[in-house]
Amino acid sequence: MSAVLVEDRAVTPTPRARSVASALGALPTFVLLLGAAYCLFPVAWVLVAATKNSGQLFSTTTFSLGSSLFANLAELFGYRDGLFWQWVANSALYAGVGALLSAALSGVTGYALAKYSFRGRALIFNALIAGVLVPGVVLAIPQYLLMSKVGLTDTYLSVLLPSVVSPYGIYLARIYAAAAVPEDVVEAARTDGASEVRILGSIALPMMVPGLVTVFLFQFVSIWNNFMLPFIMLGDDEKFPVTLGLYTLLNQGNTTPALYTLVVTGSLVSVLPLIALFLTLQRYWRIDLLSGAVKA
Amino acid sequence: MRLDFAKKAVALGLGLALLAGCGGTEQAPDGPVELSFWAWAPDIDKVVDKWNADHPDVKVVVSKQAQGDDLVTKLLTSAKGGNPPDLAQVEFQALPTLVSNDVLADISEGAGAARDKFAPGIWDQVTLGGSGVYAVPQDSGPMMFYYRADLFEQYGLKVPTTWDEYAQTARDLRAKASDKFLGTFSSNDPGWFAGLVQQAGGSWWSVDGDAWKVSVDDAATRKVAGYWSGLVAEGVVDKSPMYTPEWNKALNDGTQIGWLSAVWAPGVLKGNAESTSGKWAMAPMPQWDASAPRTGNWGGSTTAVTSGSKKQKAATEFAVWLNTDPTAVEALVTESAIYPAATSAQEALTKPPAFFPNQPDFYTQAAKIAATSSGFTWGPNVNVTYTAYKNAMGEAITAGADLAPALTKMQTATVDDMKANGFTVSG
Amino acid sequence: MTSIRMSGRGGAAPKVAPYAFVAPAVVLFVLLFALPIGYTVYLSLFRTEVKGLGLGRGSRSEVFVGLDNYVRAITDAELGAGALRVLGYGAILVPTMLGLALVFALLLDEDRVRARGFSRIAIFLPYAIPGVIASLLWGFLYLPATSPFNQLLAELSLPGVNLLSPTGIYFALANIAVWGGVGYNMVVLYTALRSIPRDLYEAARIDGCSPWQVAVRIKIPLLAPALVLTSLFSIIATLQVFAEPMTLAPLTNSLSRTWTPLMKVYQDAFGRGDIYSAAATSVLIAVVMFAISFSLLRVTRSRAFGGER
Repeated sequence: MSAVLVEDRAVTPTPRARSVASALGALPTFVLLLGAAYCLFPVAWVLVAATKNSGQLFSTTTFSLGSSLFANLAELFGYRDGLFWQWVANSALYAGVGALLSAALSGVTGYALAKYSFRGRALIFNALIAGVLVPGVVLAIPQYLLMSKVGLTDTYLSVLLPSVVSPYGIYLARIYAAAAVPEDVVEAARTDGASEVRILGSIALPMMVPGLVTVFLFQFVSIWNNFMLPFIMLGDDEKFPVTLGLYTLLNQGNTTPALYTLVVTGSLVSVLPLIALFLTLQRYWRIDLLSGAVKA
Repeated sequence: MRLDFAKKAVALGLGLALLAGCGGTEQAPDGPVELSFWAWAPDIDKVVDKWNADHPDVKVVVSKQAQGDDLVTKLLTSAKGGNPPDLAQVEFQALPTLVSNDVLADISEGAGAARDKFAPGIWDQVTLGGSGVYAVPQDSGPMMFYYRADLFEQYGLKVPTTWDEYAQTARDLRAKASDKFLGTFSSNDPGWFAGLVQQAGGSWWSVDGDAWKVSVDDAATRKVAGYWSGLVAEGVVDKSPMYTPEWNKALNDGTQIGWLSAVWAPGVLKGNAESTSGKWAMAPMPQWDASAPRTGNWGGSTTAVTSGSKKQKAATEFAVWLNTDPTAVEALVTESAIYPAATSAQEALTKPPAFFPNQPDFYTQAAKIAATSSGFTWGPNVNVTYTAYKNAMGEAITAGADLAPALTKMQTATVDDMKANGFTVSG
Repeated sequence: MTSIRMSGRGGAAPKVAPYAFVAPAVVLFVLLFALPIGYTVYLSLFRTEVKGLGLGRGSRSEVFVGLDNYVRAITDAELGAGALRVLGYGAILVPTMLGLALVFALLLDEDRVRARGFSRIAIFLPYAIPGVIASLLWGFLYLPATSPFNQLLAELSLPGVNLLSPTGIYFALANIAVWGGVGYNMVVLYTALRSIPRDLYEAARIDGCSPWQVAVRIKIPLLAPALVLTSLFSIIATLQVFAEPMTLAPLTNSLSRTWTPLMKVYQDAFGRGDIYSAAATSVLIAVVMFAISFSLLRVTRSRAFGGER
């Protein structure tokens, strides 16, 4: 009964319904833009604040532009012979290599957990997921003490290795593998005599690319922003990632002023690579591919 | 048992990585020695460069870290892990904590001779009253009163010499300009409060034979807390923390026209409120007893050698050089803008800080004030007392209540922590 | 072997391959997570003991104390108070963040909505901003003297608001977390939405369902597993809240250094140098979180984990 009614309305919408629909049509866009504005507002603050010198930062009204963007940049880049660039390069290394390895590891593990049934599968999966229950702050000290037993502290590896395992990444990859890699394609490949490694490498993983891009992105950001782990693991400031480096500029103790302008400018510069990354990966991030794959 | 297993498993798993060449960097015994140095003083690497230029066989590598408390955290962790840096910048109040955790080496052999370069009160802080020497003093922070000379004149205010006068000046200022404050009581700066307590003659820790005596809520401390309770309740001083963007703005736009600070204040003022250059002046602290002027210390740090260092001799040599060699100390003053702990270096300061061109005798006055510093014994868990200060004072201020109960909480927290760790606490 | 495999589906799956594929993750997990967790449990059974003044060499030793640290943690009033504060904070945060994330995800999934690419990036962007920096910039925006909101209110001759007051602080903290996390959850939910076969909507549309009806009757029920998962992870993140209150604390009198349980852990481990009681407290926190996650999954019948137990 209702189907008839609804169908009727769908075929010949009354003028009134149409106008309500078009009024509502603008509303969703508006809501979404409002959300975007809320999220961009503090970013705009950073953008404006980075143009101010320290006097202007604390005396002018919030959104009036300052005059010192280039002076701030020059000071930041000149700080201790360009140490800032070293920090950015370190962050890129930790986050880039870490996220790449993490995506690969998540992909392989997620595929195995989704597509094979084997003894211990549930246990492994649940244990990995439970890993997120232990806060990073708590883990940092034992991780440090264990790393120091094998002489790995204050090395790039000490930050890189713990970043590679991402329970959430494995979970996502598993969901993707389940949805995006059709059972019959795998079976067909097996029938053709393809080895399991080959099926994984040339059939399953390529199908999972959009999902793995998401894992890569999430993991990249979380490594880029991780503070506790490098804070504990690293002593040598030439190995610091950019968050830790900026933190040392901010916390110089009572006897030295915090270098607010450098930190604000540094924040701006260090967020730019992430924005660039998002925009680049946006292309691969066409998640619709997934439903296409399911249909195929 | 379990730990051993852990060690082996990690060693097995990560040993491969070691083989790949990412492991520690053990030094060849006959090559040049390399010393790692964790510090936070600005531009201290430029001072170290001078050492490196003259000492090709002992190279010091500075790693800049976040300030004092964070550095203590990292030092404790790295010492537990068995690979601390060779040298570290350590604040005075952190020395007992680090010594108690066996992080610092006794360098009396190499550094003992430096004793007469420092005022006895300063030197006592690095010996902890015993026969060992655990660090070489780098800088000190005798407290002083800073005020906006131009605004004082504008409002017809006189520089307060006693705490009673300070209170009256604060009231007078509010009466003349209701949007301005003479100062703030900061729940975020226990070091500042400890300095005020030192001035009033308080003593939070003392050693009684084999036991510690803790008196964080002693009469002098109660006097200081009671005084500020009154001012906060009356609303004549601000009660927001220092070192926030808000406070920076207040220094910039003249909302705060005074600051009870220490000798290093010019650097902070320059960084936070550059537009007010030449408008500030420095005077001795307001006094409890004007006939016997005293001051406390806020800030100040040392160069320490770690017990885990395998190159303690070279490290000690560097620590002594950094803080007593005339060129080194001069560089510390000009590059890192510290107030040197070495007495001869204090006397050598003749030019005022660039931010105080209006006060040519700045450092002569400072040296006079520094000479009135009160001694103070720090305990092995200053961090606990400091955290309790931040929590309890913040709570008391938001509740609009008396600050005295906060002292009780600080005392209880300090004693409980020491007892829990098995220290013998008397009294 | 191939011939056997051809014959059947389930029973014929290869035996070795899955183990080989999960091995790297398992090994790394054991070394870098399981071992440190075990070590934490081990440490939680000890404490240091100091002899005398504790200033000489070797005056500290590690002694076994059994469950003492746990007893102290459970009876610690500040820890309990911190847990309550986190509950209050979470009650504001989780519904707001997930509600907004759901709305945004559904809007992104509507073909008629404009500026989707821009909005998606814009809303996700705060997730990319490190906590240290986020707290710094929100600090500027919150502090009455530097806040543009208060400047605006002053222009309109309205009284200013202090979000850093003892009650305001809950909203101030929740806002930072919402701001930072809404985009992430939006992307997760959006991703789940895109994996729903389009034909379902087509069918509904042909039946004449409005987009609103499609959203409420089809999309949200199908999103349930993803919603359970995002809720679970949000609750976990809430219980682990640390960086934001830690960095805002120096700006205000309203935040103690032990405001959340994890801040207490940090103070114990790093402020007091007592990693033993910190370890005990963190084991307790992990157990509580495990209990919460487990019951949440039970209640929702493990749908989030694809029927996995």
